[in-house]
Amino acid sequence: MALLEVIDLTKDFGGVAANDHISLEIQKGEIIGLIGPNGAGKTTLFNCIVGYHRPDRGTVRFKGKDITGLKPFQTNREGIGRTFQVLSISGDLTVLENVMIGSFCRTSDRPTARQEAFEILDLLELEKDAEAHLTELPVGTQKRVGLAMALATNPELLMLDEVASGLNPKETEEMVTLLQEIYEAKGLTLFLTEHVMEVVMPISKRIIVLDGGQKIAEGRPHEIANNERVIRAYLGEKYVRGRKDRGSI
Amino acid sequence: MGTLKDAFSFGDLPASERIGFVLFIIFCLIFPWFWGGFAQTVMIKFLLFCLYGLGWNLIGGYGGQVALGQAKNVGMSAYTVALLMVWWDIPFWVSTPLGVIVATVESFILGYFLFRLRGHYFAIATIAVSLVWQQLFINWDLIGGARGVELPLKKTPNFLYMLFDSPIYYHYFAFLLVMGAIFYMNWFRKSKLGYQLRAITSSEDVAESLGINIHWVKVKAYCITGVFAGMGGAFYTVNYNYIDPFSVMHLELSIMIALMTMIGGAGSMWGPIIGAMILIPLDCYLGAWLGGSGIIGVDFMIYSMMVMVIAAYEPKGIWGIIEKARRRR
Repeated sequence: MALLEVIDLTKDFGGVAANDHISLEIQKGEIIGLIGPNGAGKTTLFNCIVGYHRPDRGTVRFKGKDITGLKPFQTNREGIGRTFQVLSISGDLTVLENVMIGSFCRTSDRPTARQEAFEILDLLELEKDAEAHLTELPVGTQKRVGLAMALATNPELLMLDEVASGLNPKETEEMVTLLQEIYEAKGLTLFLTEHVMEVVMPISKRIIVLDGGQKIAEGRPHEIANNERVIRAYLGEKYVRGRKDRGSI
Repeated sequence: MGTLKDAFSFGDLPASERIGFVLFIIFCLIFPWFWGGFAQTVMIKFLLFCLYGLGWNLIGGYGGQVALGQAKNVGMSAYTVALLMVWWDIPFWVSTPLGVIVATVESFILGYFLFRLRGHYFAIATIAVSLVWQQLFINWDLIGGARGVELPLKKTPNFLYMLFDSPIYYHYFAFLLVMGAIFYMNWFRKSKLGYQLRAITSSEDVAESLGINIHWVKVKAYCITGVFAGMGGAFYTVNYNYIDPFSVMHLELSIMIALMTMIGGAGSMWGPIIGAMILIPLDCYLGAWLGGSGIIGVDFMIYSMMVMVIAAYEPKGIWGIIEKARRRR
């Protein structure tokens, strides 16, 4: 049985189909990349799965259970964690407190939550920033805090929305290593949307490509890289002409 | 055990705050020996507003929801206590729990529906509901209508009905209530609910992604705020011996509670107390001073100036200024 099943999911925004009959399956322990140009419907698909949007049509199943239309806090309790492209939270709480809030969804005991939070901070190399406030930190560290918060809820499936956006190449590389470490340490299933190919290509076992709200391709990274439809629709003429900047689309 | 330890342990606060807290306790304890008369009246009002403010801080400060309807909860509890005493001679200690339950149940029902709204719309809805309740109480003859309710005379001091001649009793009673509220808030700010409320203030979308049922958490917090208002209302009745819809149900009271907490510093442990410390004496003495001269509304001009200054320079109130100064050092 697949961990996550999306069947024929459709979401309209005032006549514009942001997601058009999308179906996909994710097995336990996989790392799946979701790519596509801006406006392809990646974030909408995420929001429909997690519950920020209610799909117009279609079904979302998690561990065989129908979770279509459940609220984000309910899908979180089912075991789906997510991170945000931009973590827009106020700077009132410290990093530790923010991560503790994640831990609090499994326990009511403060010392337990605190200890769990420290373990996660330790895993993500954030211990020294525990008492810092989010707004004081650089973007790369903020991204890791977002990751820590989602991890603290102890998800089985972690959905990462543009985890490398706004990072420089070195930070991106570190993020990829970190994701791999977390994947191995926690036995997670990862589902990530990404613009930056350097993140998706090396770690994804399978890649799904969206364009204009539709799924246009699915396969192993090297298959996708050579898929003509993907090259035409997503990578564009530039790639076809073989220009040097093809690495950073 | 952990709960009690959290409530009574102030160990995580800086030494200056702990010293300030001890000085506050000492000041409250010795106050009646040195001051009496009008100053004592002001002091009791200050303590009562500390209680209101500490409660409102839960939903308004930690939860970030501008609820402007505390007066109706104060009023419902006050009326419950007063009417039960007038009609059936029921003692304070029996009617107060009932009053608190009435205030809390109203909070629950209202919160359940109104928290579908967000931000300003929620604030407007709470104002609207308060106005409706006030009109209802003004026109409801069975419960005294606009004339209000006066408590029966009893032999004093009467601990069963909490009726006393001397304000000193009320002073210490209010002080105990405030201390209880402070210890509760000290527990609350370290509790799961406290963290979750702060997460909601920080960002509702992120809070939801962390498994927090934001609607339910807000309703819970609003109910606890209702408990505080209910306690305050019960105290109000026995302290002033007389209630009417203009004193306990009025929107002015709701606004005063919110305003005072915001000026002191919403979402901080001591903010409501600092706010009450400034606003209540100001309110009482300005009222006494200007009331005779026929100039009406100057106090409100001063409050609105304060609100503008706070909004423009330091949204986190006086406590925010203190924290900033401390961080710079």
